[in-house]
Amino acid sequence: MLDFSILTDHLDMYLEGFKITITASLIALVASLVIGILIAVIRIVPFKPLNALGAAYVEFIRNIPLLIIVFFFFLGLRLDGLMAGTIALSIYTSSFIAEAIRAGILSVPKGQMEAARSSGLSYVQTMRLIILPQAFKIVIPPLGNQFINLVKNSSILSVVAGLDLMYQGDLISSRTFVVFDVYIFVAIFYLLLTIPLSLGVGYLEKRLAKSN
Amino acid sequence: MIVFDEVNKFYGDFHVLKDINLTINKGEVVVVIGPSGSGKSTMLRCINRLETISDGSLTVNGISVGDKKTDINKLRRNIGMVFQHFHLYPHKTVLQNIMLAPMKVLGQSEAEAKKIAQKYLEKVGIANKANSYPSQLSGGQQQRVAIARGLAMNPEIMLFDEPTSALDPEMIGEVLDVMKALAHEGMTMVVVTHEMGFAREVADRIVFMDEGRILEEAIPAEFYANPREERARLFLSRILNH
Ligand SMILES: Nc1ncnc2c1ncn2[C@@H]1O[C@H](COP(=O)(O)OP(=O)(O)OP(=O)(O)O)[C@@H](O)[C@H]1O
Ligand SMILES: [Mg+2]
Repeated sequence: MLDFSILTDHLDMYLEGFKITITASLIALVASLVIGILIAVIRIVPFKPLNALGAAYVEFIRNIPLLIIVFFFFLGLRLDGLMAGTIALSIYTSSFIAEAIRAGILSVPKGQMEAARSSGLSYVQTMRLIILPQAFKIVIPPLGNQFINLVKNSSILSVVAGLDLMYQGDLISSRTFVVFDVYIFVAIFYLLLTIPLSLGVGYLEKRLAKSN
Repeated sequence: MIVFDEVNKFYGDFHVLKDINLTINKGEVVVVIGPSGSGKSTMLRCINRLETISDGSLTVNGISVGDKKTDINKLRRNIGMVFQHFHLYPHKTVLQNIMLAPMKVLGQSEAEAKKIAQKYLEKVGIANKANSYPSQLSGGQQQRVAIARGLAMNPEIMLFDEPTSALDPEMIGEVLDVMKALAHEGMTMVVVTHEMGFAREVADRIVFMDEGRILEEAIPAEFYANPREERARLFLSRILNH
């Protein structure tokens, strides 16, 4: 049986870690979304040099281990663990989000762009009013997966003393010499975040499907 | 009003439009026909610069379409376009589809745009579908919305690229009726279509294209009764025996 005293005795540590994990995830979520949209747009605007720049960013970032990006900010730029981890997480996730959004934009039929442009709308107006809202629907499920990955990947903060849930788990475990139960509770806290996220994405997906 | 002067266009090595000379006057209805791949769509799409020309000159109301200094968005306000596959915006209602460009391009107020949208919806006979989404409409209804969407910008020119080719036979009539009414009102229209009834009734001229060239220009009665070009004759016999 699970030893619940592990949880109750160290509840403050668990909650502190939980709070940090939520904070880091939320910040990284917003930041990676903003960077991801930016990179996706850079990759599709009708201007080749920018396209290449965007492609280089994506290929470089998503093909190196997250930990190396963390170390770059932590050891290289000497930021504190929480800061380094959150920035690294944002950058790393943004490359996947950029790809998901780009794929979504490209999946909107060409005729939509032509119909909108031929009515006199500018490229930017067409993107904003016609293409992106349609791409958004297509992008919801892959985006949801990226956000779930992001929450789980935030455990990398523990490697650089980022004070997150995983880090607190490590601390509790080294204090109590208990391994199994400590991390079961850690896992439950992660599930508290990821399962609602997963359900939320499923719900959005259904609602958006209906409006079409 | 629309003048092609020695227009050529290439896709890489492929010569898709060859020495096109064509003048379309205000209020004229020109029907473009020809075999698949002959360049009809490409020629039509050059008029509002959905395709760029490689050589020659193309002007609309005296304004060069290809010129880098030409404000293409401004030029396009004046040219409505209707596509084979409608291309309505699926995430917007019928009314929103029609109101979008008048509000965003012409700067009309919402109330004003709505009034105009409703006027054109009535004109194309589907005022009762104003709040439906495109996916809830039949093909014929969708195409009529697309026409209303074009008209709401109050353009001088309307381009149609096979507007009835994707429709079930029983819906073709309702779309052609709208187009005929438009022609009778004096709209300048360039229509790619094989609908002979339409062409005979409202076209001022038939333009026959083959392999990127305009082979023949004639008034409909003449063209259908007695095409001068052998290829046109062949083409007609093929669509007639269909
Ligand atoms: N983007 C493109 N790149 C290369 N070739 C193209 C492109 N678009 C069209 N073509 C070619 O140009 C030729 C003319 O095409 P176009 O669509 O204008 O013909 P069309 O007369 O409208 O034919 P259809 O009756 O089938 O619509 C075709 O051979 C086509 O394969
Ligand atoms: Mg065509």
